[in-house]
Amino acid sequence: MTFRQARYDEPLIWEIREPAGTDPVELEGVPAGLRRKAPLAWPELSELELARHFTRLSQMNFGIETAFYPLGSCTMKYNPRVAELLARRDALLGAHPAQPEETVQGLLELLYELEGALGKITGLPHVSLQIAAGAHGEFIALLMTRAYFEERGETERTEVLLPDTAHGTNPASASMAGFTPRELATDRGLIRARALREELGPRTAAFMLTNPNTAGLFEEEILEIADEVHQAGAILYYDGANLNGILGKTHPGKMGFDVAHLNLHKTFGTPHGGGGPGDGALCAGERLAPYLPVPRIKREGDRFRWDYDFPRSIGKVKTAFGNVGLLVRAYVFLLAHGESGLTAVTERAVLNANYLARRLGELLPRPFSPLVKHEFLLSGAPLKERGVRTLDLAKRLLDEGVHAPTVYFPALVEEALMVEPPETESKRELDLFFEAFRRSVQDTPENLHAAPQNLSVGRVDEVKAARELLLSWKDLRRRSSPAPEG
Amino acid sequence: MVRWIPDPERENPQLLAALGLTGTDELFRDIPAAARVGPLGLPGPLEEPEVISAVDRLLEKNQPRKGLDSFLGSGLYDRPSPAVVDGILQRSEFYTSYTQYQAEASQGMLQALFEFQSLWVELTGMEVANSSLYDGDTALGEALLMARRLREGRYFLVPQSLRWERKSILSNYARGPGARLKEIPQDSRTGRLDLGFLEREARNDCFGVLVEYPDSWGLLQEDLPRLRGILGDVPWVVSADPLALTVLDPPGKWGADLVVGEGQGFGIPPSYGGPLLGLMAARRRDLRHLPGRLVGATTDPTGRRAFTLTLQTREQHIRRSKATSNICTNQALMTLAFLGYASAMGPRTLARMAGAMTARAHELARRLGTLPGLVAPRFSAPFLYEVPVEVSALAVKDFLRGLLSRGILGGVPLYDPRPGSPPPFFPGYMAAVGPATSGRSLDRYAAAAQEVLQDREGG
Repeated sequence: MTFRQARYDEPLIWEIREPAGTDPVELEGVPAGLRRKAPLAWPELSELELARHFTRLSQMNFGIETAFYPLGSCTMKYNPRVAELLARRDALLGAHPAQPEETVQGLLELLYELEGALGKITGLPHVSLQIAAGAHGEFIALLMTRAYFEERGETERTEVLLPDTAHGTNPASASMAGFTPRELATDRGLIRARALREELGPRTAAFMLTNPNTAGLFEEEILEIADEVHQAGAILYYDGANLNGILGKTHPGKMGFDVAHLNLHKTFGTPHGGGGPGDGALCAGERLAPYLPVPRIKREGDRFRWDYDFPRSIGKVKTAFGNVGLLVRAYVFLLAHGESGLTAVTERAVLNANYLARRLGELLPRPFSPLVKHEFLLSGAPLKERGVRTLDLAKRLLDEGVHAPTVYFPALVEEALMVEPPETESKRELDLFFEAFRRSVQDTPENLHAAPQNLSVGRVDEVKAARELLLSWKDLRRRSSPAPEG
Repeated sequence: MVRWIPDPERENPQLLAALGLTGTDELFRDIPAAARVGPLGLPGPLEEPEVISAVDRLLEKNQPRKGLDSFLGSGLYDRPSPAVVDGILQRSEFYTSYTQYQAEASQGMLQALFEFQSLWVELTGMEVANSSLYDGDTALGEALLMARRLREGRYFLVPQSLRWERKSILSNYARGPGARLKEIPQDSRTGRLDLGFLEREARNDCFGVLVEYPDSWGLLQEDLPRLRGILGDVPWVVSADPLALTVLDPPGKWGADLVVGEGQGFGIPPSYGGPLLGLMAARRRDLRHLPGRLVGATTDPTGRRAFTLTLQTREQHIRRSKATSNICTNQALMTLAFLGYASAMGPRTLARMAGAMTARAHELARRLGTLPGLVAPRFSAPFLYEVPVEVSALAVKDFLRGLLSRGILGGVPLYDPRPGSPPPFFPGYMAAVGPATSGRSLDRYAAAAQEVLQDREGG
């Protein structure tokens, strides 16, 4: 495939137009000491200048609608346009969270229905939507875990266990909630219940697990794992990042998890927004349900209201009620698919992953079991013989007009590539990716090192960025025309 | 409707055949039988037109906002945004993209994020800004944690006026390091922070001090310019409203260490409270303690300007348990709204708008303040476009309900709705004026308030 990304010398907004400065304004009742003195140095663009600026920038950016985007653990599926349409209805956009409940009955009903569906999908019926993202859900669930053990007087439970394949957010969330995270070695990518038993104890507050895990493998001993964790008195936490691999087949409740966060921007097709906003949900079983954030939606006949009467709740965790604009999109995804559709999602995602794994396995070694769920790992280690690294391969793939897989994660696989081809990708797209991958792997080391060459810029100098730390227009200006101090 | 899955009837068998399988069941043989689930009982599937009518049917149950005069604010605002801003957000190259881990494929978004960082630096007078957090309240939580990294101590001082949601969220973020909130008293007449208390407590096992600008009662603290001297080297966090910063001196000028805020008012619709935009700016010397992503400028091999995520060693995917925060997903797309709105409106228009809203808010305060049973403004400290109103004649809830039945969303009450919570400092609410608030809507508000109060007397 011949691919050339747009390449504009697009200026910063400050370079398009000089800041016009500010005029003094009347500011009733505000003393002079607080009023702004230095004019704001920021430009005012005409609408066309603005539209052109952002259109050009957008043309120097990969999105799902421009490129196959097989990022492992990110589930870059099609973001349905109809969800975008419905999330722009005035009744949603104009609603203020402080409006009395009687004026937003429709939204409350929608959120109530969404909670109900997510409760069924996870098998954990008590749901809070006041969750910004996956990592936020982890942090909140661990605060709930803390509250649970504090109430039981089990304050010696200060440790959170997790496998060495865990997402980086898991140990970071554990630290943030005041626990000491400890990573456990996996055996051929999997946690063994018997080995876990040795690590669990009276100090264990929780075991955090992603299933299928980041190697794309289903934790086959999950029921035994759940038994061990519960016998040790600890909480079993489900990181829902990989839920796309099991919809309709199993769910966290049935596997024995006590609490789960969902990434609705992964499994339920809401956009990733260039890194966010995402949206989360926290689904709890009976043990942790009393500690969920307030408020929660209560149905009374055909009316809905926010209920704050949960005395053991940890309180509020985020402004307002959650990323409602995204929750509406997730609801659209759910309605459109229905139960049969969700099962079809997982079946195709897993089929795509196994098919692509089989094909790419001809080019690079695959660690662990051949059967995977929604994603799989490759190792770029053999490329090292030719002086080529996984990073070079990733950059070379960009030149083919496809996004690179997740690279160098999980750390237990040398020169790892983590590939996730979601259910919205066709067989043709997978075959094209295989060809692009083959061309890339077989290219000369010189070309691989020189990649990318077809994008708006060549390989960026990250070391220089970290050394110079030019983080704003002011930094750039200061460097180009060093002003005397003071 | 699963049109979003490409032709499963023909393609699934092809894929299975390539794998030498006869059915998808074989792909799930690693899931133990005892962990399998049966039917879940979910709604759907629906065809696209049915989805549209199902969602619209629900949304039609909301009371239409047309015909309601809204004075709701308290950090989230309904301000008209030029249509060009949503046009930017609808570029699918932006909204369907992921985090810019492959910089060369993401220059557009990286440059926009760099411009956004530059803008928040400019508004706050600080040296560096990250490229977003979830919302203004969790940004405050992250600021507390960062202050705790900068200094040992047990207490984080917060203004007495801090609204209950913020206190609750902050208390949750404080739980990890075992920190406690301590309230700085405010004068019951002026609303001014007790500087003697601050001076004393800042030296008493304290790792950070928060001041809001304006605060949850809408007030501006005239003592801000001399606060640095009072606090010594205790980390000082300011939570500021971006629109206010177009007309007020920036906290960076007075030596604030961290400036956080909620960016929703800049081009992001209220959307029932989300998605929002958490803002954070800091001093360069504290850069390595900063949570969230940072975009930096650099070059490619030909010397061309390029942008990339930088200092990622602070972040969870590299540093894991030692990261400055667990944040991964942020609010990147909303920074485009902020940037687009700010560039389309320009600082002069925004400053004029803030000035006009402030004048109108003072007019509202005068109108309500003359009614027996209301005190507005409740304090003598300066305020901008949000008025603290005390309701002495009847319960705040009943007063606001009375206004609603007359077509007025009068304001956001200050009480904590959790049963058994202590009452707020004064029985009242916050009334916010927006760019669209007209003289006529003030007339309607004042007339409705008078009626509600009279009904009370009559009843």
